[in-house]
Amino acid sequence: MSKRVNALVLTGFGLNCDNETAYALQLAGAEVQRMHTNALINGEVHLKDFKLLVLGGGFSWGDDHGGGVIQAVRLKTNLGSRILDFIANGNLVLGICNGFQTLVNLGLLPGLNDDYQTRSVALTFNDCGNFRNDWVSLTVNQQSPCVFTHNMQQLELPIRHGEGKFVADEHVIKRLIDNHQVVIRYARENGEPANGHFPSNPNGSLYDIAGLCDPTGHIFGLMPHPEAFNHFTNHPDWTRLKEKLNRQGRRMNTGDTLGVRLFKNGVDYILKGH
Amino acid sequence: MPHRLEIALKPDLSDAEGEGLRQKARNYFGIELSGVRTVHILTIDADLTAEQLSIVQNDIFTNPVTQISSFDPLPIAFDWCIRIGYRPGVKDNAGDTAVEAIEDTLGIRLKDRETVYTSKRYCLQGSHPEFGRDRAAFEKKVEKIANELLANDIIQQWQVYPSSEWDPEVGVGFIIPKVILDHQPSVLTVSADSDAALQKVSDERNLALNPNDIPAIRAYFANNEVRRQRASVGLSDPTDVELEYISQARSDHCNHNTFQGRFFYHDSANAQVQIIDDLFKTCIRIPTLKLKEQKSWVVSVLWDNAGAGRFDDNHYYVITGETHNSPSNMEAYGGAITGIVGVYRDPLGTGKGAKLVMGGYGYCVGPRDYRGPLKPHLHPRRLLDGVIEGVRDGGNKSGIPTTFGQVLFDDAYIGKSLVFVTAVGIMPAKVADSPAEKKRTSPGDLVIMCGGRVGKDGIHGVTASSESFSADTPAGHVQIGDPYTQKKMHDFLLEARDEGLIQFITDNGGGGLSSSVGESALFSDGCSIQLEKVPLKYQGMDQWEIWVSESQERMTVAIKPEHWERFHKLSEKHAVESTVIGQYTDTGKLHITYKGKTCTYIDLDFLSAGFPQWEFEAQWRTPADRGLHEPVIIPPENYNKLLPDMLARPNICSKEWIVRQYDHEVQGTSVIKPLVGAQCDMNNDAVVIRPVLDSDIGLAYAQALLPWYSAIDAWHMASCTIDEAVRRLLAVGADWDQIGGVDNFCWPAIQYDPVANPDGKFKAAQLVRACLGLKETCLAYKIPLLSGKDSMYVDGHLAGRYDEIHKVSAMETLQFSCTGVVQNIAQCVTMDSKIIGDRVYVLGMTRNELGGSEYYAHFGYVGMNVPKVYPDKFRRVYKAVHQAIRQELVASVHGVYRGGLGIHLAMVAMGGGLGMKIDMNKVAADQVHRDDIILFSETPGRFIITVAPEKSEAFETLFMDMPCACIGVITGKADHFIINGADGYPIADIPVSELRYAWKRPLGTLV
Repeated sequence: MSKRVNALVLTGFGLNCDNETAYALQLAGAEVQRMHTNALINGEVHLKDFKLLVLGGGFSWGDDHGGGVIQAVRLKTNLGSRILDFIANGNLVLGICNGFQTLVNLGLLPGLNDDYQTRSVALTFNDCGNFRNDWVSLTVNQQSPCVFTHNMQQLELPIRHGEGKFVADEHVIKRLIDNHQVVIRYARENGEPANGHFPSNPNGSLYDIAGLCDPTGHIFGLMPHPEAFNHFTNHPDWTRLKEKLNRQGRRMNTGDTLGVRLFKNGVDYILKGH
Repeated sequence: MPHRLEIALKPDLSDAEGEGLRQKARNYFGIELSGVRTVHILTIDADLTAEQLSIVQNDIFTNPVTQISSFDPLPIAFDWCIRIGYRPGVKDNAGDTAVEAIEDTLGIRLKDRETVYTSKRYCLQGSHPEFGRDRAAFEKKVEKIANELLANDIIQQWQVYPSSEWDPEVGVGFIIPKVILDHQPSVLTVSADSDAALQKVSDERNLALNPNDIPAIRAYFANNEVRRQRASVGLSDPTDVELEYISQARSDHCNHNTFQGRFFYHDSANAQVQIIDDLFKTCIRIPTLKLKEQKSWVVSVLWDNAGAGRFDDNHYYVITGETHNSPSNMEAYGGAITGIVGVYRDPLGTGKGAKLVMGGYGYCVGPRDYRGPLKPHLHPRRLLDGVIEGVRDGGNKSGIPTTFGQVLFDDAYIGKSLVFVTAVGIMPAKVADSPAEKKRTSPGDLVIMCGGRVGKDGIHGVTASSESFSADTPAGHVQIGDPYTQKKMHDFLLEARDEGLIQFITDNGGGGLSSSVGESALFSDGCSIQLEKVPLKYQGMDQWEIWVSESQERMTVAIKPEHWERFHKLSEKHAVESTVIGQYTDTGKLHITYKGKTCTYIDLDFLSAGFPQWEFEAQWRTPADRGLHEPVIIPPENYNKLLPDMLARPNICSKEWIVRQYDHEVQGTSVIKPLVGAQCDMNNDAVVIRPVLDSDIGLAYAQALLPWYSAIDAWHMASCTIDEAVRRLLAVGADWDQIGGVDNFCWPAIQYDPVANPDGKFKAAQLVRACLGLKETCLAYKIPLLSGKDSMYVDGHLAGRYDEIHKVSAMETLQFSCTGVVQNIAQCVTMDSKIIGDRVYVLGMTRNELGGSEYYAHFGYVGMNVPKVYPDKFRRVYKAVHQAIRQELVASVHGVYRGGLGIHLAMVAMGGGLGMKIDMNKVAADQVHRDDIILFSETPGRFIITVAPEKSEAFETLFMDMPCACIGVITGKADHFIINGADGYPIADIPVSELRYAWKRPLGTLV
C-alpha cells in the first residue's frame, strides 16, 4: 500500500482555479480535496489531515481592496494559529497568483527571521496598467531550497494578473537573494533575466521576481500558473512544435508537462517523508 | 458618525492607474500632465470605536509595504484634484466587500443602514507652469478629464478642486450617497375606461405597451368572470403591479413580437406578395426541429435559457448569446459588465444548471478616432474602452476564460453601438440519476430567490431596450454587474445541483422576478408569491418595483420543501443569500400578495392568448433598382504600399491589447488560444477548449460578423456570415457533422412610418431576406440553431453641429456563433505557416465578388457584386478539409475572410514569421484575371492551407475534382512576401516584418 499525499485546495469567495489545480495535483499523484474556505473555518475539514495546502488563483472577495488582501485578513482572523501550526509541522504551502498575493499579505512569505506574520514584501499593480494574460519564460534558481522547483532550470508558464509587480525594500530583496529565496525570475526566451523589460517581465517586478519561497523552501508563492500547463496542448506554440517534430520523425512528449512536474516535486517531497 | 479613510501608494512607487490617466489625457485630448496620483477613499458610514477604526485601517486596508493611509486627507500635492464617487443606489461592489471584511475582522454586524462607500480622487499636476494657478485657462480641461475620461454622469458624481480652494483639513468632506426613499410602498389601482386612457397610463408610466395590445388588455380586465374572480381576492381594475407584469412580458425584448410577426413581403422582381407568418417559426424553429430529428447530438433547443448539444456520452455543452446594447451605450463599463455577467447566468439556468466554461464577445462601435459633428452620449473611443474593461472584469472575476472575440468599427454604429456576449457551459448528462437538461416546477415546490438583493436599479430595462435610444430614456436601468457575488452563487448552485436539490432553475435577467417567476410558473400552472419576503437593498420600494426590478446576480430556483434545510445550509456555507418567496401551485393564476393583501391575480395563460400578432410591410428593392453598381477602378500599380495600408485598416489591424487583458486560459482548458503563431500575436480562426480536463475531446468555438454586405443584400450578409463562422470552426479541426449555431440579430426599427422611419419597409424586407438566407444556409449545412436572440431598434438619435437631431441606424447585423466538437485535440491545427519549403494551397474558387468588401471600403465604394455562398459546392470541400486534418496532412489551415486572399496570405506568412512566394495565375479563379480582384475579393468558401511537400500528393488526392491549387511556397525567415501577378511578373515584394509593422501600427501600442 503506497503512501497517500493529501492535498487541500481552497475554493469559494471568488477563487476560480480550484478545478484545474486539483486536476494537476491528481496528475502529480496527490489525493485532492477541493474545499470551501468556510468548511475549513467551521471545522468540516481539518488542516491537520493534509500535507499540502494550495491557495490557488482567482479574485478572492473581488480583489477590490488589493489582490489577496481580504482573503489574507479573513484567513488570519479565522485560521491564523492553525495555519502557523500547519507550517511549523513542516507541511507544504503553495500559493499561486491570488494565493501568492494572499501569502505575502498573511506574512507567510517571505518568512525572514522565522517571522511568518509580518508583511515585508508586496505584489502591487502591474506597471503596464492593466490585467495581462501572456506566457512568460522563467529562469529557476538552482540553489533555492524550494521543494517545488527541484531539478528545474527553466519554465514556461502563463501569467494572468493585474497585480503581480513584486515590491520590497532593497534590503529585504538583498536578503531574499542571498538566502536564495528568489525561486523564479521572469526571463527572456534565452533564459537571461528580463531586466525589467516588458513584456518579458510583464508587470515591472523588482529584480524580475516571479516567485518566492520561505527559508525552509516549504512555502512557495508564484504569480505564473503551473496548473494552467497541465496538458501539452496548453502550450501556446504546441502546434508548431508538433509539426517540427513530425518532420524529424519524432512525436510530441505527451507526458507530464512542466506545470504538472512542479506539483509532482511537492508531492514527491512529501512521499519521501521529509 | 462617518469616517473617511484615504489610501494611496507610497510616493516612491509608480502609480499605474494615475499614469494611465496621464497618458489618456495626452493621447485623447492633448492635455499635458506631469503626474497623477490616485487616492482611494473609503467612507465608512458606521459607528466604530477608535480601536476598531485602527484595526480597519492597519490590518485590512493599508499595505505597510506599498501604501500610506489616513483618516484625514492625505497631503498629496496637486494643482487640481478630481473626486469621483457613485450616485446613490449605484452598485458599489468594493463598498460591499469592504463591509464583509470589516464585519469578519471585527466580529460585528454593521447596523441596518450602516455601510461603506468607495470613491476616488485623482491628484493632477500639470506640465504648464500656470496649470494650477490660471483657473480660467485650465478648469475646462480638468473638467473634460473628469467628465469624459473618468466619470459618467449617469452613475457617478464628480467635483474638481483647484489647489487654491482645497482645505487640507476638510479634503473632499463627507459625501454619503445613501439611498433615502421617504416613501410608503403602495399599490395603485389603474382604471382605464378607454383605450386612449390606458395608452396614456402606458406613456406616463413608461410601460411601452403596444397600441395593438391595449384592447386585449382592457378586454381581459372587463371580462365578467375575470372580474368576479378578482373580486373574491379583493381586486377590481388592474393594479400597477399587474400592468407592469404585462408590459414586461409583452415587451419585444421578452416576447420577440417582431420576429413572431406577420410579414407582407413584396419582391420588386414580381408583383406577388409573399406572406411570412412568424419569421421565427418559419426560419428558425421549423428548420432547427427538422435538423434535430437528423442529429442525435442535439439535446435541447428552443425552450430553455440556452441550447444544449452532446459533448460526449457523459456531458452536454450549452450555449447562448446575448446583446447588451442600450445600457452599454449609456454607461459602457456598467452595461458591458452587466451584459457578460448576465449572459453567464443563462447556462447556469439551463436544464438543472451548467458550469460556465467559456465566453465570447463582439463589439460594433463607431470609429475610435471619430471627429465628425454628431454627438453620441459617449465618444466611440471612450465607449469602446469602457466596454472592453467591463467584459474584462466581468469575465476575469467570474473565472471564465474569455476566448474569442471580434471588434468592428463603422460610422453606422455611432448611433447605437452593439455589444454581443456569448456564454458556453457544460453539464453532466445526468444529475442525481435524472436527465440534466430537463426541469420543471410542480405544485408545492418552493419559489426561491438566490443571490443579490433587489433595489431600484434596472427598472424598465426590458422596455427601454425595446425602444430607440433618446434623451429621455430613463437612466435608472443602468447597472453594474457584480461577478464576485455571482461567482459565489455559481459555485453554490452547482453544488446544490449535484446533490439533486434543484427541480427548476432560471435566471433573473430582463424583467426580473416578473419574467423568471412568471415563466417558471407555467410548468406547474400557477404560483403564489409573498412579495414582502423579497430581500431588498433598502426600504421604500413600491410593490411593482420589487416585482420588475432587474437587480443583477439573482436566480430563481424551485426546490421541494423537504430539501429546504439542506439547500439553505449549503447557501450559508457559500455566503449566498437564498430566500423562500412563495410556492408553485396549479391554480392557473399568478397570485401575488404583499403583507397578506393581493396585488396581482392574473390567469397565466392570458399572456399566451388573445394578443394580436404584429404586422409589417416589407418592400424589397434589388441592388440594381437602388442604383448600386461596380465602381470603375483601373488596377493599382503599387501593391507594396497598398498591402500594408490594407493591413493597417481599423477592421483588419491587430487588436492584441484587448485579447491580452482578457483571461483566456483560466480553468486550464486552453487548446487553441485566440492568439497563435511564432510570436503568439496572430488571431486564430477559432479557439478550442478541453472543458472536461481528463478527456481529449475538445470544443471549438468561433463567430463571424459581416454587416457590410447588408448594404447590398442582407440575404447574402446572413449566408456569408454563417459560412465564415463554419469555416473558422473547420479550420481548427471541428467535426463537420456536429456544428451548432447561435444567431444574434441586431436590426434597426422596421415598422414603417412616413416621418420617423421612411425606409422601414426596406429594413423589414432586409430582415425577411436575412432570415431566409439563414434558413437556407443552415439547412444546407445542417446546422441546428442551438440558441439565438434578436435585438431590434438599433437606432440612435444624435445631435449635430446646429443642435439638429439625426437618426442614425446601425447596419443590419447578424453575429453568428458556432460550436463544434473536436474528436481528438492532438490533431488541432492553427493558421500560421510552420516550416520552410511547405506548399501553399488555396482551396475554393475565387470570384469577382468585391461588393461590400474591405478593398472597396478603402476607396469609399460599396459596389454591387456581393459575395455569395454556394452550399452544394462548398460542402464537398469542407468535408475534405476535415478529412485532411484528421489524416494530419496539413501544417496550417486558415480561412479567407474580410480583406480577401491578399490579406489572409499575409496573415499566414506573418503567423509563421516566414516568407512566402505565390503566383496569382495559379489561383483557381472564375473568369477573373485582375490581380486586385483576385487579391481582395471576399468570395466565401475558401481556405489557405500549407502542406509538407511529402504530403502534398495525398493532400491533392483528397481534393480531386475540387478547386484546389498549389499557388506557392513558404520561404525562409528573412525572406519577403512576394506576389507574382497574373502576367507572371512580381507585383509585390515586401519584408514580412514590414507587413507585421503595418498591421500592428494603428493599435499595437495599446496595453
